[in-house]
Amino acid sequence: MVLMMKKSIGDNMIPKDWGFERGLDLVKKAGYDGIELWLGDMPWFQMTTSDSDVRALRSKVQNAGLVVSNVSTGLHWASPLSARDPKVRAQAMRIVERQIETAQLLATDAILVVAGLVTEEVPYNEVYQRCVESLKTLGSTAARSAVKIGCENCNSEQRFLLSPREFAEFLNEIGSPAVGIHLDVGNIHDTGFAEQWIEMHGPRITRIHVKDVLKHRGRSGDQSVYTNLFLGDNNWPAIRAAMTKVGYDGWLVAEMEARYRYAPDQQFYDTAHALDRLIAGQLT
Amino acid sequence: MGRAAAMAAALTLPIDLRRVAAPSLGEPRPPCAILTLDGDDSLAESVAGFESALREAQVPFTRSLPAHEAAVVIVPGVVRIPRRTAAQTTNALVDGATVILESGAVFGADSGELRDHREMLRHLFGVEIDPPVSLWPAHGIPYVEYTWPVAVRVRDFSRVVPVSKHDGEVIGRAAGLPVAVHRCQGRGTLIFLGSPVGPALWSGDAEARRWLGAVLGKRAEGRG
Repeated sequence: MVLMMKKSIGDNMIPKDWGFERGLDLVKKAGYDGIELWLGDMPWFQMTTSDSDVRALRSKVQNAGLVVSNVSTGLHWASPLSARDPKVRAQAMRIVERQIETAQLLATDAILVVAGLVTEEVPYNEVYQRCVESLKTLGSTAARSAVKIGCENCNSEQRFLLSPREFAEFLNEIGSPAVGIHLDVGNIHDTGFAEQWIEMHGPRITRIHVKDVLKHRGRSGDQSVYTNLFLGDNNWPAIRAAMTKVGYDGWLVAEMEARYRYAPDQQFYDTAHALDRLIAGQLT
Repeated sequence: MGRAAAMAAALTLPIDLRRVAAPSLGEPRPPCAILTLDGDDSLAESVAGFESALREAQVPFTRSLPAHEAAVVIVPGVVRIPRRTAAQTTNALVDGATVILESGAVFGADSGELRDHREMLRHLFGVEIDPPVSLWPAHGIPYVEYTWPVAVRVRDFSRVVPVSKHDGEVIGRAAGLPVAVHRCQGRGTLIFLGSPVGPALWSGDAEARRWLGAVLGKRAEGRG
């Protein structure tokens, strides 16, 4: 089976002083098919950005020969859907609604949501219930807009939905064809194996975030657990085989840490080439 | 044991509370009334929590019955109480009901709303409160300790409304602060909750359900 996966990278990786259009130029030259836009991360795409300005972003993306692969956001870490305060929850809902609106304006059909944050203060049961209820509502909104909500598996960072079965049951309870999983193959490192998550979620995968991991570093200390593709412990042949097994032919979205001390644009080229090898299955 | 039966057992309700008959009508009437307010004036998770706990225990309840006809009146998560609801609640106490009045001022009441809330509690229910206190991040132990009608620990809801003055009995403390009291009013009993119990019911806190069951059980025995 020939899989026609496409590759994109986040606009939040564009070097800080470059600007959007110069960044688009780099993304295109490096060989990507699209760009992931992060609502709330970069000055050109905020909650206050008007619809006309969002349309202008789309024009710029198209003029660069690219498309928008999906709309993501990190705003839910501060304003989670699982917050106890009704005002914070309302803001969280509004963020997702804006993601859906802008996804339509940007002509993409997927958004990323970090659903739920378990803390010492706000316990698992409350987080689970609030997320199921809010995502049922948001799933209806998304379905009407022909957009899919991908809940990202942040695993240990969220302390929520740590296993693939737990995540599957969560999606079952939401029960919306418009709510799936934005599967991050790196975040799983200390709780499981990415290829198993791909197998278990198959058609519910909206997008795949790619990164590699150095498991021995763990999540403590001053060295990041994440690294560039093929430098870490992810079993890439198994991950690639799992994609074939479930027939995944969607977007592979590079979500890397900007780690190049010099020539930061080189990371775009290196990652794009690695993704080409992954898509082609040329891993030996 | 089926889930409903298990929940009923958890609420430890005597049978007669489930089948309170109206002597004149010959029809069973709900022993519980939940008074909710329009819009954002009731904490939605509190309302949902009390409803789900009663429903799972198969305790009939209503929102439409005149409150004074109910043995137990629950007012979940409120800040502003309209005159009609306040009158229903105080009349229910005069008539001998047990009223569970849960403050919703833990989140988002502005200074005007909080002032009105405090005045309402003092004037109508004889309870004086302090402004809401955030328990986190210093709290550490995430529970409210209730001592009546049963000793349980119920998870806190991040912020509490401490009771500063009352003429009843303190029945719940969080981080040493008195946050729940019960007092006699009219022929009835007022239970004021400054830490919402409704959200704990909503998320399935077993001890919260046991506490509610014990309150309803006390009422059925005529001792609450």
